[in-house]
Amino acid sequence: MRRVGWLFLAVLLVLSMGSSVAARDTLIIAQGTDAVTLDAHHSTDSPTSTVTEHISETLFELTPEGEIVPLLADSFDVSEDGLVWDLHLKQGIQFHDGTPFNAEAVKYNIDRILDPDESVTFRFLLTEIIETEVVDEYTVRFVTEKPFAPILAHLTHTSISMQSPSAIEDYGEDYGDIVSIGTGPFEFSEWRRGSEVTLVRNENYWGEQPAYERLVFQAVPEGGARMMMVQSGDADVAVRVPPHDIERLEADQDVDIVMTPSLRTIYVAFNVTMEPFTDPLVRQAVNHAVDKEAIVEFILGGVGQPVDAPVAPDVFGHEPIKKYEYDPDRAMELLAEAGFEDGFETKLYSPSGRYMQDIQIAEAIQSMLADVNIDAEIVTLEWSTYLDVTGLPQEESEAPMLMLGWGTVTGDADYGLYALFHTSEHVPDGSNRSFYSNERVDQLLDEARTNPDEDFRREAYLEAMSLIMEEAPWLFLHVERQVTAVRSDVHGLVVHPAERLQAAGVTFE
Amino acid sequence: MSKYLIRRLIMILPVIIGVSLVVFFMVRAIPGDPAQALAGERADEETVAMIRARFGLDQPLPVQYWVFISNALQGDLGRSTRTRRPVAAEIAEMFPNTIKLATAAMAVAVVVGVSAGILSAVKKDTWVDNLSMFIALFGVSMPVFWLGLMLMLVFSVRLNWLPTAGMGTWAHFILPAITLGMSSAAIMARMTRSSMLEVLRQDYIRTARSKGLAEFRIVNKHALKNALIPVVTVLGLQFGTLLGGSVLTETVFAWPGIGRMMVESIMARDYPVVQGAVLTVSLTFIVMNLIVDVLYVYLDPAIKYD
Repeated sequence: MRRVGWLFLAVLLVLSMGSSVAARDTLIIAQGTDAVTLDAHHSTDSPTSTVTEHISETLFELTPEGEIVPLLADSFDVSEDGLVWDLHLKQGIQFHDGTPFNAEAVKYNIDRILDPDESVTFRFLLTEIIETEVVDEYTVRFVTEKPFAPILAHLTHTSISMQSPSAIEDYGEDYGDIVSIGTGPFEFSEWRRGSEVTLVRNENYWGEQPAYERLVFQAVPEGGARMMMVQSGDADVAVRVPPHDIERLEADQDVDIVMTPSLRTIYVAFNVTMEPFTDPLVRQAVNHAVDKEAIVEFILGGVGQPVDAPVAPDVFGHEPIKKYEYDPDRAMELLAEAGFEDGFETKLYSPSGRYMQDIQIAEAIQSMLADVNIDAEIVTLEWSTYLDVTGLPQEESEAPMLMLGWGTVTGDADYGLYALFHTSEHVPDGSNRSFYSNERVDQLLDEARTNPDEDFRREAYLEAMSLIMEEAPWLFLHVERQVTAVRSDVHGLVVHPAERLQAAGVTFE
Repeated sequence: MSKYLIRRLIMILPVIIGVSLVVFFMVRAIPGDPAQALAGERADEETVAMIRARFGLDQPLPVQYWVFISNALQGDLGRSTRTRRPVAAEIAEMFPNTIKLATAAMAVAVVVGVSAGILSAVKKDTWVDNLSMFIALFGVSMPVFWLGLMLMLVFSVRLNWLPTAGMGTWAHFILPAITLGMSSAAIMARMTRSSMLEVLRQDYIRTARSKGLAEFRIVNKHALKNALIPVVTVLGLQFGTLLGGSVLTETVFAWPGIGRMMVESIMARDYPVVQGAVLTVSLTFIVMNLIVDVLYVYLDPAIKYD
């Protein structure tokens, strides 16, 4: 009996050693959820986009440094009036199935995304385009109704990836399920639903070939389990390190902790049509009453930075504008000035588990507000319910204060400001959940959207953001930071601010 | 018997329709909808309306229900709003994984639970008994999340003997099966112990003892068989619990099962998947119940239907 036991142990040992030694032609990334689809056009979440962007590519790319550079496109010309965009494409590129990548293919993809029957969630990114024309084999023309400056930024979005038209036609509804064909450095190989997606190197890749053969994305929902996979070597990379695990992992010699900025801003919107938040003084008072530095340091374990503008620092158009210093006395003064020297009662809506430590942050805000006599009751709802309740039109809206996050995924301030502060974007038409409305801000956002001149846009955003910061329709909180655990022999992994991983350039050492 | 069977089989249809009605209206009663869940923070009205139309969610409820149930009866459960795959395919992929895990957990529960129960009964009131009953108490009260992570920490990270999470080789079964099976094992141990003690007090056992049979033989040959009847009943029930209770274990061990799929679908308000999965699981329960009822007739001749 004892001998059998030892034999069993020995077999286990051999098995476990075998698995960790053989893994070097393979990179394993543990994400929180499985890919939802492999049809890049229908991807709506980071884990899915992380998978699809290794298979298919966009016309332009947003670099981690925030620059927009051509990817499948080679160059572009824009007409004087800013309405006609000619994109010249890279030549000689093929999709994984041999279909040539050309202007026809681009037109097919853009038309598909814009087709309402296809119901692509990110369709709105392209709705300014009224016509797509094939000029010649490698030139495609976009015509917009009005000048639309952020168009190139929108073309960097992973859901506007170029996929093989013939594959989409051939597989119909099954495209993205059993097949996914792009031009990227990896080809789709196998998808074990709920468990893992395996990609293999594209031997005919037009760019630089990856140095390893297989790229595997595993779905591991539990944060603690994900970290242990990296520690045990069962995975090479794990995303979203829980704040309380950071210290433990930093002590592990085999694992590196990588911190990278994110484009996601966390805020609490005030309903500016609801008493007492109709008064900017009250909103400023709340901003002074909350210690953002303390939230970042003690609740997020340093994984974030207090905001100095409505958009994150890596977004085009960002300027450090101002910070509301933590100053409870000033807050009390402002409240007294607004006629609320005895404070007031309100409600703070918070999701639970959507953003890093969200409910803990809500509790901290609650206790800091109590110090200035504001009695805020916390209302927590499950995510989909939360979206529903906070998305009600103004006359039905019940939430005076609500916490949310916004990732400016195109890296352009238009995406981060227009939908959140423009009057035309009040929910449910858009995402302006504070019902903020300022004519000057509207005008600036409209102008910055239609004028392609970079300096002009920067100035317009600076003025708009200054007005917004001053009028404080939000309690400005922090920009999240991404914490990723990486085996220390893995090099060259890019953690993109848009909360995706780019693994094509990884080497082992 | 056959009359009874036919009656029971006919009864399945109204039960399934009842279940379908409940689940259909319940998922829609929760605030939020698939379109909004898909669009997330940026749920503008146009996008939401477009997605709703795509999945027929702009139709009146009775129409939606009719489409769902008439298709379902023909085996078509529709397409997931989230992944756009056929629901039947999703279930066919996930459900077997959960059954496999539950079966492995059941094996753990039976082997560990029954042996501990017998040992406890035979060594009643000794330290062996106390220890195994203490462990049993511990087993029922241990949170699955904690147990799973602890096992992982010891066997995968520290000792590096077993894979951490995921599904693949037979070795991937060990930790999740123990985690999931632990509380059933504990229940089984307590059941076996009390039932065994009962049987050991009976006259025929005393007779066997007085014949001078070895204790091992008395316990294993004469007592165990009778002691196990109530245990078998519990076993059936426990299997159902394991199927339904696998959600946490599936989450901790990244096991691609139907429990995790259902939770994710509810979060995403993926109505077709929630409906399809609930229907499938209910149908499994109904059929399993039927099988157990029929088995009784063979196990215990005193039970008769008709």
